[in-house]
Amino acid sequence: MTLDELNKQLAQIELQVACGVRELNLIDAVRSFESSVLGKQGLIGLLLKNIRDYPADERGQVGQIINRAKAKAKAIIDARLSEIEREAVAKESQGASDVDPTLPGDVESLGSLHPVTMVQLEIERIFERFGFTVETGPEMESEYNNFDALNIPADHPARDMQDTFWLNNNQVLRTHTSPVQHRAMKKFGAPLRIIAPGRCFRYETLDASHENTFHQVEGLVIDDEISIPNLIAMSKALLQEVMQRDVKLRVRPGFFPFVEPGLEIDMNCQICGGSGCATCKQSGWVEILPAGMVHPNVLQAGGIDPDRYSGFAFGLGLTRLAMMKYGIRDIRVLNSGDLRPIVCAQRLGGPILVNHTT
Amino acid sequence: MLISLQWIRDFVNLPTDLDPRDLAERVTVSTAEVEGVTPIHIDAQGLIAAKVISATEVPKKRNLKLVELEIGGDNTVRTATAAPVLHVGSNVVFAPVGASVATTGVIKATTIAGAPSEGMILPGEALGIPLAMQEAVFLGDEFQPGQALPAKLFEDWVIEIDNKSITHRPDLWGHYGMAREIAAIFGLPLSSYPITPEAELSSSNLPDVAITIADAHACRRFTALRLEGVPTIPAPLWMQLRIGRIGMRPISGLVDLTNYVMADLGQPMHAFDADHVPDIEVNWAYEGETLQTLDGMERTLTTESLVVQSQGKSLSLAGVMGGLNTEVVDSTDSLLLESANWDPIVIRRTAHRLSLRTDAAARFEKSLDPANTTQSIQRFHLLAKAMYPEMKITGRLSDNYPGKPEPVVVAVNPQHVKRTLGRSCNLEEAINLLSPLGFSIEQNGDAWYVNVPSFRATGDVSIEADVIEEIIRRVGFDAVEPSMPRVSMRDIKMNPMHELEMRSLEFFCLAERFHEVNSYIWYATDWLKQLGMEAGDCIELRNPAAEGLHQLRRLMMPGMLAAVQRNRFHFSSFNLMDLGSVFEPHPQGDQEHRHLALVSARRGKKEENACLSQIKRAIGQWAWLRFGQQVTYTSASVLAECPWENPHRTATVALGDTIVGRVSVVEPGTRRAMDEHLSAWSIACAELRLDNLASLTTTTEKLGTIPDHPQIDMDFSILVPASSHYEAIAGQIAGFEHNLLKQIRYVDSYEGKSVGEGNRSLTFRTVIGSQARTLSEGDANGFQQAFETFVTKLGFAIRK
Ligand SMILES: [Zn+2]
Repeated sequence: MTLDELNKQLAQIELQVACGVRELNLIDAVRSFESSVLGKQGLIGLLLKNIRDYPADERGQVGQIINRAKAKAKAIIDARLSEIEREAVAKESQGASDVDPTLPGDVESLGSLHPVTMVQLEIERIFERFGFTVETGPEMESEYNNFDALNIPADHPARDMQDTFWLNNNQVLRTHTSPVQHRAMKKFGAPLRIIAPGRCFRYETLDASHENTFHQVEGLVIDDEISIPNLIAMSKALLQEVMQRDVKLRVRPGFFPFVEPGLEIDMNCQICGGSGCATCKQSGWVEILPAGMVHPNVLQAGGIDPDRYSGFAFGLGLTRLAMMKYGIRDIRVLNSGDLRPIVCAQRLGGPILVNHTT
Repeated sequence: MLISLQWIRDFVNLPTDLDPRDLAERVTVSTAEVEGVTPIHIDAQGLIAAKVISATEVPKKRNLKLVELEIGGDNTVRTATAAPVLHVGSNVVFAPVGASVATTGVIKATTIAGAPSEGMILPGEALGIPLAMQEAVFLGDEFQPGQALPAKLFEDWVIEIDNKSITHRPDLWGHYGMAREIAAIFGLPLSSYPITPEAELSSSNLPDVAITIADAHACRRFTALRLEGVPTIPAPLWMQLRIGRIGMRPISGLVDLTNYVMADLGQPMHAFDADHVPDIEVNWAYEGETLQTLDGMERTLTTESLVVQSQGKSLSLAGVMGGLNTEVVDSTDSLLLESANWDPIVIRRTAHRLSLRTDAAARFEKSLDPANTTQSIQRFHLLAKAMYPEMKITGRLSDNYPGKPEPVVVAVNPQHVKRTLGRSCNLEEAINLLSPLGFSIEQNGDAWYVNVPSFRATGDVSIEADVIEEIIRRVGFDAVEPSMPRVSMRDIKMNPMHELEMRSLEFFCLAERFHEVNSYIWYATDWLKQLGMEAGDCIELRNPAAEGLHQLRRLMMPGMLAAVQRNRFHFSSFNLMDLGSVFEPHPQGDQEHRHLALVSARRGKKEENACLSQIKRAIGQWAWLRFGQQVTYTSASVLAECPWENPHRTATVALGDTIVGRVSVVEPGTRRAMDEHLSAWSIACAELRLDNLASLTTTTEKLGTIPDHPQIDMDFSILVPASSHYEAIAGQIAGFEHNLLKQIRYVDSYEGKSVGEGNRSLTFRTVIGSQARTLSEGDANGFQQAFETFVTKLGFAIRK
């Protein structure tokens, strides 16, 4: 075979490979086709075997020509192989078309904390940031801790059966978290920085805004030079953090036996912004934080020298705050055990498509 | 309490263009909370006095009278009226044709009941005194028929003060005291209190009123004046309008005047018909004594009731209410005026015991200034002189004052003022701030000595902090520059119990999807009865919120089961938790414990295992994460206190060696008793006592290791009777010993067709290995044989 003839035959083979491989759709068929061309007994393989038939000085050139053709054929076959693999992958992913990527995930309900607990956790986090310790006390309190230690005199109307739940062991269900002030002073002494969240009880007739069982959080700071400006600054920081926005405060005199001076801290109504609505009784303000400088008698009862230290205390109605935050209109749902008014519907199952509930 | 701005202006010359709402806001931020500001805008035009000259009943129209009125000169008009007590000679407020007030518009001539009506007798309501409840406002001789009534008398603003914000301020229960605060707020002078000079009342030519006081503690002061020439006439129009606006009903000159002084100075007074009162004795009643009070009720008194007597006969309930036998009536011409000062606690107890919360009692309870007794009589006299030209003093101002207090002087350290105020305040500033409120200050050394005026000295201002409060009130809270506290750092540990509680709630909510609910800390007797539960020995409320709510809970589960019952209408499966206090009587002092209650409820009877297992999985994970302790369950018999526990499916829960609570399936009878629908449900529950756990130290987890030579896992399923308990089998399996054994752990439990009826398959995973070498197949076979032999010897079959 002349070089010319060889070239022609190789071109022929190339064409044969290009056409032949296109007919094949299975990897195995392509593999056997490949060996029928490139194998030792294959079309190109046999040509390579016959190289000795050429004159010695042409053999190098012939080898080159055949090898080039071989590489070309291999490239065509490999291209077809990867094409078939791509088609297979494409087919496999398409084969899974019953998987709907837009379908919601498995439907499982979430658990929930009581609204009061959620608010309490939030408040605790804020105060921990300011270096407060969280203290607690019992719900069943001695008369002394609940009243006497807090400068509430023996004949004070708050001690009446119409205001306080009395027990047959002469103790009371605490009417506020303030006894924890006294307990903490006794336990830690001054200086001191605590909050005391917890459940309290007042003898009340139940209605949409009155409960006999509710939650409060008490705050107490005692240190060398604690002032009214400190109390106001702290209150503002607290309320801004809770409301997650700038709030306006109105500070006015208030009267509570365990503080002197006593203050009422009002916040601009978050419902109407201060222009007046039913929630704020048209005043633009809501009473939010009864507060004051710790009464010297209370410090003394807690074993702290009122000459040496001063302090402020405040109370925040957790139940009330939870109602404001979550828009709960009837306080009675909080102790009813009914999940519907205290759990967000989205927690209770799959995604909601239409929601006309308010 | 209601305040009339017109009245306040008697004592403070407030700017005429002052917006009453601004005044209210300033009073709120510096003195007491204002709850409302209401304009009394009558817009009276052309009102006159008119005297009734004839009144005739309209036939067939009850309550309606045709009257003819004189309106000056010889002019008369006719009109119809429903006023019941109107009679010839009555002088009334009248709107002739063409006159107007805001509520009626311009009065036109018309016809009523067939007769011409040429004007209108105005009811109290149209004049801004809604409580008057009368169809006419009666005038004395101050206005002649036809005389125009000044329009500005009718214009006012009423300011409502929150009573709670002034309970500690007896001085603010009168207009003069409120005017003092307002004068100070606006920096205006306060008029001196208009009264008849004492000398004029205490002429020594007149006889004394003999006053004896049995108990100087109960009656600190008693002051009296005897008067004559006080006929029954209406009070002046301005006075009627003012007391009417602040919620008191105009009745008669004398009653209105007494009420006026009470609202003016804050001091209640009492007038006796003097004919029956030759002298005064203040004494304790004798047990069982009766007194008919002014409201017509017969009151039974005790030795704790303080009474005013004369000649041994009780006349009135001191400081609370007068007696009917000395009531001032139309024929009374001579009266004895009482103004006294009573112990607030005595008054409160009496008022409380008799459920007689009168205006007078409410004020005396607040501890009034003893100086008020003489002042109120002097004030009364000044106003009465104008009303009763014929009035004469027949018994001079007599005063028995056995309980005179020492003047109150408070020592104040100016450094403490600075500490509270956050800035220094010098003596001059302090004087400027406090003198408008009646305080004076003297400096001695480093201290200030603050003289407290008598009207603030009855308990209100008694210590340094009280004075500092007055200073800061006067400075104004809005003038305070807020600044964060400078505090000392201390190492105070987080309260471990509280940490445990909050983190536990978060865990059960997040990990096992429990919903937290809250419930009351007392049992509901009805519900316990429904559950068939005996409450046990409970701490009880003396004054429960309602009948059957008197026992403090010893367990939380009854409340939780009530919550299950409530939610079963709305959900087909749910997990609930609650964390709270339970209470137990105890000889060494009654105890409060903290409990965590968990419930899992699902519709369907066959879910019991699933419910129980979810609760246990939750407890197991919690115990490990919180305490690094494995939980063990030991079967337990039902407690009498927990009738809901299924006797076959109840266990105690232990962390290490500490039993922390109980877990159980709720037995079918209880479910049925709760609610018949729940008979087709599965409910499991657990109640854990957290108290002892807070102090449990959390052990640091020991992590796994990669062994030097590979280990082999082999699972063995053991067939046991379905009725047998894991605790027994696991205990036996744990006794297996082998030199290659590294670990045995529980994998799962299975019941089903493939293991045969009445059987259960428990799968355990064993791990074998050696420190020295890689195990051979022979090692594994040998171990398998040993373990299977062990199990077989225990009497169980291995499931292949
Ligand atoms: Zn509002």
